[in-house]
Amino acid sequence: MTGFIDLYTEAGTFLHRTDPRVKIVAVATLSLLALIMSNLVNLLVLAAVMVVLILFGRASFKKTMLAFSYVFRVMALIVVLWPLFNPGGTPVLFDLWPIKITEPGILAGIATAVRIFCLAAAWYLLMFTTSQRDLVRGLVKMGLRFDFGLSLAMSLRFLPTFSAIVESIKEAQRARGLELDKGNFRKRAKDYVAVLVPTVITALKMADTLSLALQSRAYGARADRTYVRELKMRAGDYVALFIAVAVFAIPATVKYIFSVPL
Amino acid sequence: MASVSMESQTPQNPMGATPAKFVSPRTVALYAVLTALTTAVTMTLAIPLPTRGYFNIGDAMVFFSAFTFGWRAGMICGGIGSAAADLLLGFGFFAPITLVAKGSEGLVAGLLGPAYRGTTRMKILGIWAGGSCMVTTYFVGEWILFGFGNAALELPLNVGQVLFGGLIGLALSQAISRYRNQRPKTT
Repeated sequence: MTGFIDLYTEAGTFLHRTDPRVKIVAVATLSLLALIMSNLVNLLVLAAVMVVLILFGRASFKKTMLAFSYVFRVMALIVVLWPLFNPGGTPVLFDLWPIKITEPGILAGIATAVRIFCLAAAWYLLMFTTSQRDLVRGLVKMGLRFDFGLSLAMSLRFLPTFSAIVESIKEAQRARGLELDKGNFRKRAKDYVAVLVPTVITALKMADTLSLALQSRAYGARADRTYVRELKMRAGDYVALFIAVAVFAIPATVKYIFSVPL
Repeated sequence: MASVSMESQTPQNPMGATPAKFVSPRTVALYAVLTALTTAVTMTLAIPLPTRGYFNIGDAMVFFSAFTFGWRAGMICGGIGSAAADLLLGFGFFAPITLVAKGSEGLVAGLLGPAYRGTTRMKILGIWAGGSCMVTTYFVGEWILFGFGNAALELPLNVGQVLFGGLIGLALSQAISRYRNQRPKTT
């Protein structure tokens, strides 16, 4: 549970080559698709498609399992808890007041769990196949202000550094006899302050240096800045964008205009 | 492409200083560092839990940013930093909810905390109000996504997390403000 994992895997698949903007749009449409569907069979089909796409992403099995471990835990909890809190429908399987379990309750629980899997998978698809640099570049192209984009890119770059700093300060304080896993509420809070104060001071000093570095590199000297690498939509990207939008638009039309339950 | 049309109206500063359009380099650096710190603290000082994955003290950093650098820093760094931690820890679909929950927490805490010259009482009020925003947002979001059972199970954990984080954030902001007052202002 410690340290920093980069979810991105370097590879040259079509998912990696697709424009990050298209992938961000696809995450949104796939999530919305998962949210508007409630039939278990439809959701299972969507989940299967997601699994295939993730396999295309070429992330290692170990990393995928590590990433999904939380999701599986949540799914298990939903399957257990949903029927307990939603006892509706007719075929009652078990009735012992106050616990009542029905077949529709169990099915709805499983459907919700599969929906959570689809939502998580859509985000993993983006994180597995898009480098942080491309992600920020895509966001800036989508209208994020450049200075905030720079701030975001810098914070992503400093993330592993700060994780390491937090870890080493924790170890240093432990070597001085700090016990983080002992004591009551107040004492634990105090102990964490002993770790966080040096961390924050290191970070603020780093911010001073960073702002000097930015100034010395003429940050914001010209408003009409240029970029070394420009994102360009290619024909394939337009096709992917069309598919991503259609995958949500068609079921949404079917559901809300022709009122077919999905 | 939008920036091309905007920049023609911005007068060029002959001294090469930052045009009014961009935030100052100091702010960029500070926000970058605070965001990264929030994410790093959320990710590394975490205790695993059965439901949502981890009990973290990321809230401490949100409150600290809000109390020390104002509501804007609290909202941006708290929201984006925590959402990034969710993304990187494998709770991507939770990131939009976290963005709203922690962003509003930072915003409210940052508005209330430093008011009346930031007395401890105001900061505690800020923790209470900001924490309520975060707990409510999470509860509603989890209800929609996971159903009532999980949301109800999560509620006391979130309250505990926000109290723990608030206690740390309060102590941290006081310790750091002492440090910042001692230090000669060079930059």
